[in-house]
Amino acid sequence: MKKIKAEKLGLTESVKRHLEAIGVVVGEVIVPSTITIHYPRERRKLPDNFRGLILFDSKACISCFRCAHICPANAIVMEHRIAYFPSIDYAKCIFCHFCVDSCPTGALRPTKIHDFVYKDMDEMVVHSEEMVETPEIVREDSFTVEYVFDGDVQLVKKKEKEELVPEVKPPERPPKVAAALNPENCISCRLCVAACPTFAISAKEEKTKIILEINVDRCTACSICNKICPTSTLGLVDR
Amino acid sequence: MPGMLEIMVQNMVNIPLIQPLVDVLLKIPVINYIVALILWRPIFAVLIIPGLGAIMLVLMIIVWWERKLTARVQWRVGPLEVSRPIGGVMQVMADGMRYFFQEVIVHRNAHAIYFIQLPILAFLPVLLPILLIPAGPVYAIRSDYAIPAIVALIALIPVVIIAMGWASNNRFAYIGAIREAFMYFAYEIPLIFAVLAMMVLYGSGDPFVIVEKQTVPGILLNPVAALTFIIATVMATSRLPFEIPEADQEIAFGPFVEYSGILFGLVMTLAYEKLYLMSLLLTILFLGGWNGIAIPILGDFMPPFWLFLKAFVFMLIISLLRSIYARYRLDQALRIGWSSILAISIISIAISYALVLTGWLP
Repeated sequence: MKKIKAEKLGLTESVKRHLEAIGVVVGEVIVPSTITIHYPRERRKLPDNFRGLILFDSKACISCFRCAHICPANAIVMEHRIAYFPSIDYAKCIFCHFCVDSCPTGALRPTKIHDFVYKDMDEMVVHSEEMVETPEIVREDSFTVEYVFDGDVQLVKKKEKEELVPEVKPPERPPKVAAALNPENCISCRLCVAACPTFAISAKEEKTKIILEINVDRCTACSICNKICPTSTLGLVDR
Repeated sequence: MPGMLEIMVQNMVNIPLIQPLVDVLLKIPVINYIVALILWRPIFAVLIIPGLGAIMLVLMIIVWWERKLTARVQWRVGPLEVSRPIGGVMQVMADGMRYFFQEVIVHRNAHAIYFIQLPILAFLPVLLPILLIPAGPVYAIRSDYAIPAIVALIALIPVVIIAMGWASNNRFAYIGAIREAFMYFAYEIPLIFAVLAMMVLYGSGDPFVIVEKQTVPGILLNPVAALTFIIATVMATSRLPFEIPEADQEIAFGPFVEYSGILFGLVMTLAYEKLYLMSLLLTILFLGGWNGIAIPILGDFMPPFWLFLKAFVFMLIISLLRSIYARYRLDQALRIGWSSILAISIISIAISYALVLTGWLP
């Protein structure tokens, strides 16, 4: 059997170590180097692209369904309002914000609101009209806290309130635009006109055939017209 | 009984600060008896300061203080949400309320009679020493044997704790009681020797004589005795690093493991009350007792105030130990108690005799 013995220290060394321990404790008592965030009274500084509650702008939405298609949790269902607008089921949502990233017009916006509750499961299905307004938040915080990873982790406190709904620039439109690539194929069905979510396509009748006019300013290059066209008349070209 | 009132009024605590109020109250028929009784010196010493009222105040603050200090060292917050503006001091009151309304469970195997009465009986050895601890003019009993009597009465507390462990009839309580008994012998002899050293030094067991002779505080005259006394205090009040009988990680509060409700509230505070008593004794023996800067407006209240303040500050400092040291094993603590601490306590007696015989002390 191996017997482990305590290290033999001289008197001066042990006294030194005792004093060191006492010094550490006294120092911690006076200024504790804690890195805990006192949440309701302090908030951690969050980046502007923090994946929190999602807000919706019905004017910008073009009902392109991209958010619903990309949602990996199937949390987004398009519901018919004025046009088809997304509704988010927060019981399913995994806050990946793929919907926000995929939105071509910035109709879905990220916020830093991460503390919200619902009374029951039905309420967790949030419809598009409920996502327009920023929900009312009870702010108890008066400090914004930030971790600084410089050697040891430090906590930097600032007496300021952070804005939870950041200003997000709408995404740049893709450098593409819809155009009639093969006009000879057109069968004048006008499906593209009806399908265009931004009403960018208009059809002008001229004798026996129609001419498709595409408003370049309105076109978001969503390529719905491209998909719906039965004869592959429409396509995307560089702006 | 007009005679009774006169006896009390003649021996009343004289505090210039509240004297006008007392004069007014003494003219009101029934209240004058109450006021005179409370301000009667023996009753004032036992009930207000350094007695029961001071103990309650100490309990309220020291428990909060200790939790708060430990929390800060361990990067936590500690009690805060109860009475947030004053930093959570009321937490102890809230805990007390909770203990009060919680059911007291006396389990089937416990010796119910002893189990229930011992926590209440434990207040006897806590409050009886108060009778003998004087605070200048505020005292209950003056005796030449006050210091030995205080030590003897304080030494009764572990007996009650051991009895509690026996009455609980639980293996943890039993282990805790045995540990308490072992520790009792390990610290009590050095403690008595340290007190003895100071009594030899001052040549008396009367606190009045001892405080009078301390133009230089006793801690400077005989630092070895002071060190012995402080270590023995830490051991006696089962604080870390000698929190061996209670050791909540090992034996879940030892002798108190079966207690719940208000009975647990009573036994939990026992160590703090004992610490308070031993701090008062330490203040009288080593820190100059009730000597202090004169504050005329406090009058007779000034000596108890200084005595209380010194003892309290000592308690606040000793609370730090919890966050500095880890717990000793029982055998380590016993080895320390029976070897080095016993040795330095004997050395302290030798130092005292040397000081007296060489005539350094008047």
